Amino acid sequence: MEDDDQQKAADLVQELVLRLLSQNPQTPNPDPNSPAFLKTLRYAFRILSSRLTPSVAPDATAIAESLKRRLATQGKSSDALAFADLYTKFASKTGPGSVNNKWALVYLLKIVSDDRKSAVNGLDSSVLLPNLGLGDAASSLGNGFLRGGEAKKKDWSNGVLLVSKDPENLRDIAFREYATLVKEENEVTEEVLVRDVLYASQGIDGKYVKFNSEIDGYAVLDYVKVPRATRIMVRMLSELGWLFRKVKTFISESMDRFPAEEVGTVGQAFCAALQDELSDYYKLLAVLEAQAMNPIPLVSESASSSNYLSLRRLSVWFAEPMVKMRLMAVLVDKCKILRGGAMAGAIHLHAQHGDPLVHEFMMNLLRCVCSPLFEMVRSWVLEGELEDTFGEFFIVGQPVKVDLLWREGYKLHPGMLPSFISPSLAQKILRTGKSINFLRVCCDDHGWADAASEAAAASGTTTRRGGLGYGETDALEHLVTEAAKRIDKHLLDVLYKRYKFKEHCLAIKRYLLLGQGDFVQYLMDIVGPKLSEPANNISSFELAGFLEAAIRASNAQYDDRDMLDRLRVKMMPHGSGDRGWDVFSLEYEARVPLDTVFTESVLSKYLRVFNFLWKLKRVEHALIGIWKTMKPNCITSNSFVKLQTSVKLQLLSALRRCQVLWNEMNHFVTNFQYYIMFEVLEVSWSNFSKEMEAAKDLDDLLAAHEKYLNAIVGKSLLGEQSQTIRKSLFVLFELILRFRSHADRLYEGIYELQIRTKESGRERNKTQESSSWISEGRKAITQRAGEFLQSMSQDMDSIAKEYTSSLDGFLSLLPLQQSVDLKFLFFRLDFTEFYSRLHSKGKES
Amino acid sequence: MPREIITLQVGQCGNQIGMEFWKQLCLEHGISKDGILEDFATQGGDRKDVFFYQADDQHYIPRALLIDLEPRVINGIQNGEYRNLYNHENIFVSDHGGGAGNNWASGYHQGKGVEEEIMDMIDREADGSDSLEGFVLCHSIAGGTGSGMGSYLLETLNDRYSKKLVQTYSVFPNQMETSDVVVQPYNSLLTLKRLTLNADCVVVLDNTALNRIAVERLHLTNPTFAQTNSLVSTVMSASTTTLRYPGYMNNDLVGLLASLIPTPRCHFLMTGYTPLTVERQANVIRKTTVLDVMRRLLQTKNIMVSSYARNKEASQAKYISILNIIQGEVDPTQVHESLQRIRERKLVNFIEWGPASIQVALSKKSPYVQTAHRVSGLMLASHTSIRHLFSKCLSQYEKLRKKQAFLDNYRKFPMFADNDLSEFDESRDIIESLVDEYKACESPDYIKWGMEDPEQLLTGEGNASGVVDPKLAF
Repeated sequence: MEDDDQQKAADLVQELVLRLLSQNPQTPNPDPNSPAFLKTLRYAFRILSSRLTPSVAPDATAIAESLKRRLATQGKSSDALAFADLYTKFASKTGPGSVNNKWALVYLLKIVSDDRKSAVNGLDSSVLLPNLGLGDAASSLGNGFLRGGEAKKKDWSNGVLLVSKDPENLRDIAFREYATLVKEENEVTEEVLVRDVLYASQGIDGKYVKFNSEIDGYAVLDYVKVPRATRIMVRMLSELGWLFRKVKTFISESMDRFPAEEVGTVGQAFCAALQDELSDYYKLLAVLEAQAMNPIPLVSESASSSNYLSLRRLSVWFAEPMVKMRLMAVLVDKCKILRGGAMAGAIHLHAQHGDPLVHEFMMNLLRCVCSPLFEMVRSWVLEGELEDTFGEFFIVGQPVKVDLLWREGYKLHPGMLPSFISPSLAQKILRTGKSINFLRVCCDDHGWADAASEAAAASGTTTRRGGLGYGETDALEHLVTEAAKRIDKHLLDVLYKRYKFKEHCLAIKRYLLLGQGDFVQYLMDIVGPKLSEPANNISSFELAGFLEAAIRASNAQYDDRDMLDRLRVKMMPHGSGDRGWDVFSLEYEARVPLDTVFTESVLSKYLRVFNFLWKLKRVEHALIGIWKTMKPNCITSNSFVKLQTSVKLQLLSALRRCQVLWNEMNHFVTNFQYYIMFEVLEVSWSNFSKEMEAAKDLDDLLAAHEKYLNAIVGKSLLGEQSQTIRKSLFVLFELILRFRSHADRLYEGIYELQIRTKESGRERNKTQESSSWISEGRKAITQRAGEFLQSMSQDMDSIAKEYTSSLDGFLSLLPLQQSVDLKFLFFRLDFTEFYSRLHSKGKES
Repeated sequence: MPREIITLQVGQCGNQIGMEFWKQLCLEHGISKDGILEDFATQGGDRKDVFFYQADDQHYIPRALLIDLEPRVINGIQNGEYRNLYNHENIFVSDHGGGAGNNWASGYHQGKGVEEEIMDMIDREADGSDSLEGFVLCHSIAGGTGSGMGSYLLETLNDRYSKKLVQTYSVFPNQMETSDVVVQPYNSLLTLKRLTLNADCVVVLDNTALNRIAVERLHLTNPTFAQTNSLVSTVMSASTTTLRYPGYMNNDLVGLLASLIPTPRCHFLMTGYTPLTVERQANVIRKTTVLDVMRRLLQTKNIMVSSYARNKEASQAKYISILNIIQGEVDPTQVHESLQRIRERKLVNFIEWGPASIQVALSKKSPYVQTAHRVSGLMLASHTSIRHLFSKCLSQYEKLRKKQAFLDNYRKFPMFADNDLSEFDESRDIIESLVDEYKACESPDYIKWGMEDPEQLLTGEGNASGVVDPKLAF
């Protein structure tokens, strides 16, 4: 089959070449076997087997369309219609016997017709196979023209005849129909529409193009007959008008509200920026309108001259304004309810755009919008003024008492914080202005102005207004950083030097945290007896006197009078059963500006720490008191020789028990104190000092102080989590105080005994003879002593027992505590592993 | 109300170390040789009024009594550069100026003779203070005046000021060398009895160890008295720093001593100091951290008690208490680390009958005294090995006593008249029982010690107080 086909095709080609050559006047009857013919045939085969492809897309419909169009433009509308009809038929033919490669065929026809056209224009018909005629074709150019023309004419009429049987009539009818159709559809001329569109773009209704509230946009009036395409085009173009209306309405509404507060300066700036853009837009429209009626200057008169602006041209002109207008409309939409910083932030969000046109446009817009905002930042950071009458700034001030100025006077308003200002920068801005206000209000200091101008100089901006704008966030940041650095430093300098912050902290440490040992001791000495009375009997006036005496008697007297004056006695509210010990405490008056650091809550924490340490000191004092009564030369130099051995053993045992218990309690209390001193107070203080030095601003300082105080509170078992262990500690303290009164009684009894025996001894020396009476007395004394010692020993035993179990409880609670430092306490208490040994022994048994 | 402390310097040795002590205090407080505050001494924080009081003309005057039975040393002071420092009313030199002739009995007897005069001075000083804390006695236990008269003063103070603390800095004789004072064992024994019964705290300064330290640690071939005395003054001033530079803790003598002396009888403290220098002699600068200082303080070679006492039965010996006073710029966090290291290495043996720990006091260093070391440390410790020192005294006494040697000198005085040597026996018993108690402290059963054996009790306590009693009743 294939061979058959190929042979068939070869035969057909040969036939074709023969035909073509036969048309050539030079070879009217070519001999199929002549070498010239064979050569031509080979050439034809070579062309056919080559893979030359046309440079157009293989789209049959497109080619058919272009053919049709060409016919139409040549005025042969009937031909065009006929062609269309034929093509449809041709295209619909499928199945066996039909042409597979329809496109190629149509293309071939097109080329053929093109060639014919060129032939009409005087080209040789041999272009069909230009080189088939070979060398001799050129010489007979003139003949070829004529002959070719004839041939073409015949061919063409043949071709037309093939497709349309009744050519003249049909073509005319079609053409007529087409003309009326165009006329009917265009009731309005394009010029009019262009003008209307230009009107609509300014938000004005034109003659045919009007605002249609139903579709919410401008459109050609329904009853006006225009082609659908035109209608759509107008609709598209007049979107600009719709957008314009929106923007314009926003501006005018905002303008109307200007004096009112809700627009704000940022809103005003925004409106102004929009207005600027709109006036550019007006300019464009004016130019367009002026040119709308001008015809396009044409080179030749023959071509149809239309007006300069067509709807299509307009769409090109409108492309850029459309983008801008759309952006503006979007912004207007977004910003309708926003104000101030929030508005700037919202606009900023739209500025992040890859399109350089949009980007630049947004930059311009933002530069305007942000300038009031940046101006606020500038005046806040450099002058501490909150120039924000409309509440647009991201920092809000509120009237507060002086001591709360720093903490609560100014707040960040997150809603008003534009997203291009980072939270940390915002914090810095807040703090800097706050520092200035703090300096001005609380510290009564004006040195900050120098610092501010210095900062401005350093950052390269002047203190004038309007030095900053959007896009210069770096510059802003630089300014803020410089200002913050200097003003914070200045503030800290003022606090440190003029208000002696560190000295006050030290004073608090010395007096409220009992660091000034001699003072505390003396206070304990003179206040102690008074505090044992019921709280109601104690006048704080009297205590204040004691306090003053303690200051004068100790090294505290060399301290700054200002600090000493701040030290006060405070009587806490007390119930009926309270003793002085329960209500007495010291407080430190902070005064402005230090009350920012030492707020009421801070001072109440100090108060708690003081109460705790004071309690601890009291217990220590009690223990030292016992030691004084049982101190070596009181015990060792005493004689108990006249006592019976049994009583003496009892005495010895009571004393030893007392000493050993005392040793245990003292060990506990001193080590607890060492813990408080080293692990709590000194360590925290040294950390605090380091942080104080490193502090760059008041916030750092506040945080450091907070940390310091919290560390002390936490480690001194005063925290919330330590309630259980604190209770058990206080039980121990109570026991120690009870032990003190027992020990006092014991020693009192012993000294009494000592005096009695001494007296009786002396008596005996003097009056040897009446020994019977004396011995009676001695016996009684001995008996009484025995009983006394027995009861004391029992009491001591019970205290010892209670103490041991309480201590055990306390020690077992220690490892459960959160604070790591309490391990140090356990380490100290159990330095010789006495308690762990005791514990394991207890377990074994 | 600065918790004043009155210093009594008795005898040749007592006055010498006292003088050094005051010299040191003046330097540390920025007080000139004439008692006037130096211009540079403006940095406050120190408490001068514990040891000094101010005269009407702002002169700082030491609360000190200078007492001797012979004029040589005191004359030296009165003609020395510090002559204007002391209150001349507080200087007592016996009229005849003959001294005590290294005889305890003579010193004691003479003390009794001038009791009124001296007590007047003491009362005056006591009245001049707001809240007298106590007395510090500086003396040696081997000679005549310091030991004998010192003993008498101890008894009197115990009687008259029973509520006040009595602390002594007692120089123990060099027991390695044969002393020129042959009756040294007698004197020591008799003084030891008073130190045991009538003092609250005895800081033992062992001349043997002081000499050894001077030779070994300071590389002095023939240490002079002045050099060993400066060691003593260093220790004395260091042990009072917490009183003079008040801090959170240990601000008074009672507080300081109470924790050190949980058992009334065992109140003999040994000391250690590091780094040692004499007369600001340029020494090799060592690394001084808290750990280094604390570790060195536990080394025998730095402790001012004879090494033989420290080494004998060393495995048995136990610390009853330790207080380290660290002076200088110290990071408080180092303290805990050091303690931990010390415990890990098991560098200390503590008593087992009760809880104990190393106490550490941080104290400021005087800004006016330049030292090459950032940190220095003093250890005050109650250690049971000190009993060997007493045992040595006892054995030396026994040797002499067996021979009945040199007793005639004592019989001349009323206490020993009519060949009544019971005072010696009694003292011996007391010291013996003291040694026993220290020994008992080494055992975990100290609590029950002395309860089971009434016999021992009778000989121990009974005799002891039996004879003391009538004396107190005079």
